[in-house]
Amino acid sequence: SSTENVDPQKIAFLLRKQWTLYSVTPMYKFSYGNLKEYSRLLSAFVAAEKQKGLAVEVGNDLGIKVTLSTLLGLKGTDQDQVAVLVQIASRSQLPFENAENKVVWSGWFCCISGDDLLESVPEDFTCLSLFLANGAESYTAIVGSWFQKTFDCYFSRLTISPLNLAWMAAMWTGCKVDSHMAATELVFSVPCIPQSLDISYAIHSEDAKALWDTVQKTPGEVTQEEVNLFMDCLYSHFHRHFKIHLSATRLVKVSTSIASAHCDGNIKVLD
Amino acid sequence: MDETVAEYIRRTVLKIPRCQIMEMLTMWEFLSKTQLQTINVHQLKERISQAVVELCEVITSIVNDQIVSNSHNFVFTISGIFSCITGEETDSFNLADFKYKFKRSLRSALKNVTINFREYEDNAIWIRIAWGTQYTKPNQYKATYVVYHSQTPYVFISSLRSSIPLLCQALVHASNYHDIHEMELRSRCIDSLKDIVFKRYSQTFQTYHPRPLQERNVAPEKVDPRIIQENKREKERIQSVNQEIFGEGLQPKIEFAQYKLETMFKGEPEMDILTEKEPFRCVVKFSSPHLLEALKSLAPAGMADAPLSPLLTCIPQKARNYFKIKERKGILSASCLGP
Repeated sequence: SSTENVDPQKIAFLLRKQWTLYSVTPMYKFSYGNLKEYSRLLSAFVAAEKQKGLAVEVGNDLGIKVTLSTLLGLKGTDQDQVAVLVQIASRSQLPFENAENKVVWSGWFCCISGDDLLESVPEDFTCLSLFLANGAESYTAIVGSWFQKTFDCYFSRLTISPLNLAWMAAMWTGCKVDSHMAATELVFSVPCIPQSLDISYAIHSEDAKALWDTVQKTPGEVTQEEVNLFMDCLYSHFHRHFKIHLSATRLVKVSTSIASAHCDGNIKVLD
Repeated sequence: MDETVAEYIRRTVLKIPRCQIMEMLTMWEFLSKTQLQTINVHQLKERISQAVVELCEVITSIVNDQIVSNSHNFVFTISGIFSCITGEETDSFNLADFKYKFKRSLRSALKNVTINFREYEDNAIWIRIAWGTQYTKPNQYKATYVVYHSQTPYVFISSLRSSIPLLCQALVHASNYHDIHEMELRSRCIDSLKDIVFKRYSQTFQTYHPRPLQERNVAPEKVDPRIIQENKREKERIQSVNQEIFGEGLQPKIEFAQYKLETMFKGEPEMDILTEKEPFRCVVKFSSPHLLEALKSLAPAGMADAPLSPLLTCIPQKARNYFKIKERKGILSASCLGP
């Protein structure tokens, strides 16, 4: 819903990857004008961390290059901050090979706070509260610690509650996808019993959409009541067959043609 | 000895951790004690495996023993054999005859195939088949294992592949039975499959896996008399209903059950939302390290009604864990249909 120029290639690269979610506290004295400087500093930091314990000659940067750039087209509202993309590329070490950089790790910050919170943020603080990482956990830790030290902020793993997963299931099921649609799959984990039990409930995409369409009153608007009713219908159909109360179990994963999300804080956007 | 078989042995030995090599080789029982003594486990693993291969040169049936060590890794399917009504059924099972006919049938269809037999005490015949094609040698790494209890009409086959029709044909021919069909029952643990089809679970008077009877009249703990157990009667009812359905003993160990539902959508009366006359298609999969025990514990934990749905409780009796459920006219509960 933004009117900025969108770089389709950059956005496309975000798709079909698994992202781990983190919540980030507001960053102190972060400046969009200094992205080049940050790239230089972070490159050096990553190289230094990677070299710890290795006997390497000074000046050899192991071919690692970090770039920070902005990601246009990902703002929720015009008041939101522009998203920031961080990428770690590694140059091939072999002398005769094409010295092209290959992206080995990506992370991006975006703002999802909305108008209310932004008004109360003091000056000097930048609110990019959601961070998504793809790639080796070791790189995520290094990048995270640099940001924490440099901008006095804090990263924490974001878990997705069953409530939010249910919202995603309802909204994504309602989306129209031109190509072949995968089933809407809900995965439940049963707590409090001696043997672990997982239940996968996959509904044919057309039938799930038909159910959502009868539940949703206003197109473009989704209410909590509608999400609850949608889920209750699914639980009820399940109970009729198996006599099991799915509402007593824990929704841990939701998957549709559009995207999938896991309560551990991993999401994957497919379209 | 076949090159590919030698290579297979060599790679298998390399995979075994050094500290377990002697143990494994002894278990395989195809090398004599004196032969085993000649192997030095302190040398390079490459040399150890080469030594084993050399000792095996004279023995052709060693690959049978892989069956024992690998049996827990496969997903076994059950196939049932129907007996021939107009009989060519022999009265006593002849092992040599079976082996000969089986080999002949399979080899007439496919030149490149490795077949090995191994008999065990409980009348189980294990057959290992490595499949090749017209132009390639048999692939020793993706073998199919078949377990046939000659006194029963059941055959267990590991991992379904395209060569199953050939295999079934050979089995039918060799066993003098009329027909063979696949049952909708799959598990990682062949013993549980056996438990289910041979009805070796929760029998009234004799349990296959006996376990001590639980004390019913437990001496009451020293609890504060002001604490009352809510719903005591309901809890007891659930326990007794559960016991009736699931039986006393341990449940056979299966890991998953799958239901393909094609019934009409029907929730609570207030939710009769979908006016579609089309079925609400969904696939439900249950998975657990021990599915039946997990299902048994649902009602006592308050997450399910007691009695649990017959769709779930019929698994051992019906000997299936793959179902296709369609709407049955006039009755609310759905029935099971064949494959």
